[in-house]
Amino acid sequence: MHPVLARRVRLDLYLAAWIPVAVLLTAALAIPDRRPWWEAVALGLPLTLFAAFMSLAQWPLTRALPFDRSEPIRFIATHFVSLVVSVGVWLFAGAVESRVLEMLPWFGRALERYRLDAPTLSVIGALLFIVVTMLHYLMITFEDARDAERSALEAQVQTRDAELRALRAQINPHFLFNGLNAVASLAGSDPQGARTMCVMLADFLRRSLALGGHRKIPLAQELDLAERYLNIERVRFGDRLRLEVELDPDAAHCVVPPLLLQPLVENAVTHGIAHSITGGVVRVAARRAAGRLEITIENPAESDRPSSRGSGTGLVNVRSRLASMHPGATRVECREADGRYRVDVSLPAVEPDVVREADVRAEVAPLEVA
Amino acid sequence: MNDGARIRALIVDDEPLARQLLREYLSVHHDIEIVGECANGFEALKCVTDLEPDLLFLDIQMPKLDGFEVLQLLDRDVAVIFVTAYDQHALRAFEIHAVDYLLKPFSPERLAGALGQARARVGKPAAYAASRLAADALPGRTAVERILVRDQSSVHVIGVQQVDFIEAQDDYVCIHAEGKTYLKNQTLGDLEEQLDERRFVRIHRSYLLNLERLARLEPYAKDSRMAVLKDGRELPVSRAGYTRLRELM
Repeated sequence: MHPVLARRVRLDLYLAAWIPVAVLLTAALAIPDRRPWWEAVALGLPLTLFAAFMSLAQWPLTRALPFDRSEPIRFIATHFVSLVVSVGVWLFAGAVESRVLEMLPWFGRALERYRLDAPTLSVIGALLFIVVTMLHYLMITFEDARDAERSALEAQVQTRDAELRALRAQINPHFLFNGLNAVASLAGSDPQGARTMCVMLADFLRRSLALGGHRKIPLAQELDLAERYLNIERVRFGDRLRLEVELDPDAAHCVVPPLLLQPLVENAVTHGIAHSITGGVVRVAARRAAGRLEITIENPAESDRPSSRGSGTGLVNVRSRLASMHPGATRVECREADGRYRVDVSLPAVEPDVVREADVRAEVAPLEVA
Repeated sequence: MNDGARIRALIVDDEPLARQLLREYLSVHHDIEIVGECANGFEALKCVTDLEPDLLFLDIQMPKLDGFEVLQLLDRDVAVIFVTAYDQHALRAFEIHAVDYLLKPFSPERLAGALGQARARVGKPAAYAASRLAADALPGRTAVERILVRDQSSVHVIGVQQVDFIEAQDDYVCIHAEGKTYLKNQTLGDLEEQLDERRFVRIHRSYLLNLERLARLEPYAKDSRMAVLKDGRELPVSRAGYTRLRELM
């Protein structure tokens, strides 16, 4: 349906816009001094109204013939035919009306007078037609621009949505619950410690949200995030969790998907440290060798720990994210030996130039959540 | 409140901060006496025996033994308030008639509510044994992966993959695993229900066999056979047991 007909207000405004046309048309009919003014009004008003509604028929035509994407010849020919037909129909409508008016006592020989005006009316009709067509194209341009803007916005929201969902999959909410419980505890015994813990939690969340918005981030940032996570867990586990992070400077700029290591360090804590009375060292190491980035995550493993229920999803997630980034060129291996559990991640070492920019943005732009 | 009505409470949680928080919240409840703190399941078992608490604040995720496993191994009845960050165990907790289930972090008011229920519970003879119920309320009806055996001084955690076979001995079962035997106060039928039915086969009224240990079957007498294990030991196979074995192999 034509957008003007979609709402009552629009139709009213549209018809109001035709009032000047009605005045001009009536004047054009009255000026030649062939007929009394009331006959000009009686003819001019219905003709304007008719033109107003006929113009609406331009909508499907302008839609079907986009201004910028149509063959010129076809475009001009179609509109020319349309113009001739429309003006013809319009003139014929005026003739019919004049014939009807003749039946009334005051409008004798109206049709005869109308015939004399036909050339003038043709010109007016053609001009009206051209203006109306141009206005339609203008309206379509505006509408397309608005649609494009809206769909861009929608796409943005959807992307952000997907990112947040992905992020939720990477970060276990129980980490937060336990962290908050530690804050509650510290609030009583060590208020300064409670504040520090709050800041640590907030920093970690803010950074993971900001980084989660990127497709790739430098490994240095990913490891920084992992370290923040482990430092928070250290507040909970105390001496049981010891930390070793080794980052080869050559590997620091290589890119990885954001939060790639998060499920792995989380597993190291929940399956390694949490099941051990004495705890141990969680070691995260990354180096670059022969064009590849090798990341290792190691944690103590108790041989009699219960086999982890519902786990494996973290590992599957890591595998599939890496595989979609570098199909066929990644490896994720786990093994357990001598009381240590170890995950080795291997991927092509990539150091793209656009990273710097993403780098800066992650630093300054916190995520806006709509 | 007179001294006789005091409730002896034991806090079991592997995180020092979590224990400290409970201790602080409990300090305003003068009828609750904290008799001890434990950082893991083994300590908890020992403390319950030694200190005889009336009430247990019990974390679920802990090293060595989780909260439910601790309850399974307890030799005396005690009221339990679970304290955990995980909500997915709540159903199981109430199946074993836990007094309450606190989700970390919780408010002092929420704790006071739980204590109100605990006061009503403590001192009344229980119509159930928490340990027995805990054994029944297995996690989501999935098979257990380790068998817990308690003797006087220690707890043995036996992974199901370590078990060779299990033998019925009246009200006890004798678990043969890696050259050792463990006696557990449980019937063979009960244990069989808890174990993975694809791994453990009841080959005889008195024997439950880990299929991975089976080397071959040999005819023994008319209508009966002998299972020969990989280490050479032999176990009798009944006719019904043979049918079950055939179905699985």
